[in-house]
Amino acid sequence: MFKYLFAKAEDIPAGSAAIYFGYSSIIWFVIGTGLGSFNAAKLAFPDFVMGSEILSFGHMRQVHVLAVILGWISMAFAMAMMYITPALGNTKLWSEKLGVWNCFLWNVGLSIGLFLLWMGVTSGREYSDLPWPIDLVVVLGLLVPLCINVLMTIKTRRTQGIYTTNWFFGAATFMVIIVFTVGNSPEFFQLTGLTEAYLTWWFAHNVLGLWITPVAAAISYYVVPKVTGNPLYSHRIGHLHFWSVVVFYSTPAAHHLMSAPLPEWLKSFASVEGVLILVPAIAFVSNLLLTMTGKWRMFVENIEIKFTITGVLMAIPLNMQGGFQQTRAINWYVHGTGWIVAHAHLALLGFSTFLEAAAVYYGLQTLLRRKLYSLGLANFHFWMLLIGFTAYWVSMTIAGLIQGAGKIYEVPYIDVVIAEHPYMIARWVGGTMVFLGNCVWLYNMYMTARVGTVIPAGRLPHELAYER
Amino acid sequence: MAWKFDNPLHTLCTDDQNDVAKAVWEGESLGGIKEDNNRLPPPIIGILILTIITAFMITFPLWGQRPTAAIYEEYIALMDSPAIQGKSDAEAMEYIINQVKASGSKWGAEQERHPLEMDDLRLIRDAVIELQRNGSDLREYTVLGDHIVLANFEGNLKPDGTVERIQPWWDKGYTIDIFFIVIFCLGVLIVVKRLPDYEWEPSHHGH
Repeated sequence: MFKYLFAKAEDIPAGSAAIYFGYSSIIWFVIGTGLGSFNAAKLAFPDFVMGSEILSFGHMRQVHVLAVILGWISMAFAMAMMYITPALGNTKLWSEKLGVWNCFLWNVGLSIGLFLLWMGVTSGREYSDLPWPIDLVVVLGLLVPLCINVLMTIKTRRTQGIYTTNWFFGAATFMVIIVFTVGNSPEFFQLTGLTEAYLTWWFAHNVLGLWITPVAAAISYYVVPKVTGNPLYSHRIGHLHFWSVVVFYSTPAAHHLMSAPLPEWLKSFASVEGVLILVPAIAFVSNLLLTMTGKWRMFVENIEIKFTITGVLMAIPLNMQGGFQQTRAINWYVHGTGWIVAHAHLALLGFSTFLEAAAVYYGLQTLLRRKLYSLGLANFHFWMLLIGFTAYWVSMTIAGLIQGAGKIYEVPYIDVVIAEHPYMIARWVGGTMVFLGNCVWLYNMYMTARVGTVIPAGRLPHELAYER
Repeated sequence: MAWKFDNPLHTLCTDDQNDVAKAVWEGESLGGIKEDNNRLPPPIIGILILTIITAFMITFPLWGQRPTAAIYEEYIALMDSPAIQGKSDAEAMEYIINQVKASGSKWGAEQERHPLEMDDLRLIRDAVIELQRNGSDLREYTVLGDHIVLANFEGNLKPDGTVERIQPWWDKGYTIDIFFIVIFCLGVLIVVKRLPDYEWEPSHHGH
């Protein structure tokens, strides 16, 4: 990467930025899930690693969360954008050099930010934990350059039409800048109290709603038609999905604070909008599953489709949970329990991770022009991810219901801790499986770059997957 | 940009505009990706309508409401009734429940959803009587085990300037929701009706 930072633009091979982002994202995924496994071990076995303040759960939790969101997920997004956006416009990335610099700054900025968090320098606000100077680095060094590159690539496309995926990419890269800037304004302007609480959750909600969810969905709009060869089932359902994300996903932030003294009308508004998150979900899932018509065998045979459709299917429980758990009728019971932790992992480790993994698998093979080193290891990675995630999700959902019962019926806290202990162990086992699966993935992709079979010109990676 | 309004549910474009759109649709390769022009399947439309109705219904104060002190007021009034003296707790509770039901309590549904035993009533009795003496609106208090606490609703303002602790049946949040839904439906309708009608399917033979 370093040799291209100061190279002439024409000397940088097309796809370099996407490749660097792709490998960076896998490394951050290994780090992020490794930290997750470590943290889960501390909850399952309270005596694990005692006596060190910086290795305490309070220091480590937000490092795990932001390593996954800004390292794995967002860098995988950047990778996908840097190869899919130009491909859909029959053009090149607007600036490969800007992309390489963007990747460099992303890794450096995130490393500094996470180190500061680890040392205890934090805003103390969940999801927007980074201190404000790092927030500015994220906006100016990470998100703005990405947005410029994506929007300029769309602007300089060689097609008249813009495919659905690029609507989402263009809109999301713009909206996430607004989300990050406004969402961190409590620190910039010393806002406190209810305003701080509301903006904290406005940020957390919209990072999911206007960044992670739409970009993950956009990836599947590319991968499924590209790999199956089927046309996208419906362009007009794509419109329904896109505009319902903009209208219904951007508005319900107050449903994260249903028990806070916000105006009751704001909660009513947010709660109805929260259920209406099902509108984009229904449009998205139906469009993608109908696109699979006649190609369902690929759900078993093809690794990219296996990851993508699993992610699409996870959107069903994700949005059913998300839509209804925020209503007054259910939220008072599950709020502040492991149920919510399970839901957050269904969104980030279930739904979105499976879609991003597909993009990284497909993108790296396409850009490197090399066949996957080992399909067996890729399948092993898939099953470790799926079984590990499922163990995590189920155990934390049960633990959440126990905690909810304990909260409502005022069961002594220590009794709740004892009751949920087996599920904390199951959570650690599941999370560790995900971590080990990712280590295998990193090895597989490293070997793909080193010794993967070269893909002949005119062929696509998935066409060769089962050829020896 | 020309618009055509003679058959708005069919298309909002002129024939010329539709011909241009169809030519681009069929002739252009978007990185090897193709798109069809299928309509939203009717069962999915049904699910979407059901979702919108459900969004309001589940958010109205119908289900999942925590028990308020008001729903036990009639029970507590009967605790000193001579008719229950000498009965066991179970018999006394059954008598109270039947009496309240027979009198046609307006809290019948809530009482059935949040049943109590005599020991529970004893735990909250003094607190409820104290609130009655103060002239408090018992609907604004939630029963949590043996505690009676002010409900955490921040509802509409009362004439005296204090805040109502009861979730209203309708507030401006719902009105804003309807505004959003109407604007969304109109917006999407306009966008998709600017496309060639869904009865036309592109041919992908070109690529």
